[in-house]
Amino acid sequence: MTREQVIEKINNFIVEDFEVERDKLRPDANIIETLEIDSLDLVDLVVLIEKNFGFKVKNEELTAIRTLGDLYNYIHERVKDQ
Amino acid sequence: MKTALVTGASRGIGKSIALTLAENGFHVIINYRSNDTEALKTLDEIKQRKKSAELLKFDIADPVSVENILGKYIETHTDDYISILVNNAGIRHDNLMVFMNPEQWSNTINTNLNSFFYVTRLLLKNMLTGKFGRIINIASLSGLKGLPGQTNYSASKGGLIAATKALAQEVGKKNVTVNAVAPGFIKTDMTDGLDEKNLKSMIPLQRFGEAHEVADLVAFLASEKSSYITGEVISINGGLY
Repeated sequence: MTREQVIEKINNFIVEDFEVERDKLRPDANIIETLEIDSLDLVDLVVLIEKNFGFKVKNEELTAIRTLGDLYNYIHERVKDQ
Repeated sequence: MKTALVTGASRGIGKSIALTLAENGFHVIINYRSNDTEALKTLDEIKQRKKSAELLKFDIADPVSVENILGKYIETHTDDYISILVNNAGIRHDNLMVFMNPEQWSNTINTNLNSFFYVTRLLLKNMLTGKFGRIINIASLSGLKGLPGQTNYSASKGGLIAATKALAQEVGKKNVTVNAVAPGFIKTDMTDGLDEKNLKSMIPLQRFGEAHEVADLVAFLASEKSSYITGEVISINGGLY
């Protein structure tokens, strides 16, 4: 999966499930602020990632992710060979 | 049908909780560590009543065992998550602290308190995303007031009570409630060696409690009827403080 495909897929489910406007989705955007969620809601994001990309997210990996760019990089790294 | 996991459900209060939850329409996962015979008896009793249950053998005090066996169960049962968790399993290694060895301390803390973390954290994700969960921790009067000869046990149950209150605040917004039940003297194998005749004179209700009385309270906390109770410790001790 290419990086562009990963970004497209992530942005799509964020827009749909967290009701965020697409033009707010920039790589430097802080996830918690942009999605207007609190840290507990990250569990919903984890489930969406697992459902959409088919791998298990480890909690300790998630804590290093701050921005959407971090999220794109993390997921791309996991699925680039698929 | 909602699924409930009861740890340490082959005997004593845990067994009674498993029977009562099954009677109340839950599918019950009977967890136990080693006693196959007693666990099978619990399962048979539930099946004889035409209720639903299954066995799941793992050591709650061993994080690898919890991850491998409970983790695998969760992965392979994606349709219906475990929405009720009763952290019941516990041990006692009583001794005056001056004579207590490090194993008696650490084994008690590990089985009674650390296991709460090992088991609960695996089930939380589904409860949070499912927007429903009931976590019921079996604490003890010993964890509220402290009892001599039980510094390890009192510490483990006191820790469990504090964790109950903290977790309740973390997960309340996802409709997951976390409560503790603090039994006093209940007739089980665990209280077999105690001097009941002498002790019951201190209890306002003048008797030890029965396991089914604790089970009925747990069943209430597991039900929809307890929907506005969280972070609470409910004593069930015949009035003993």
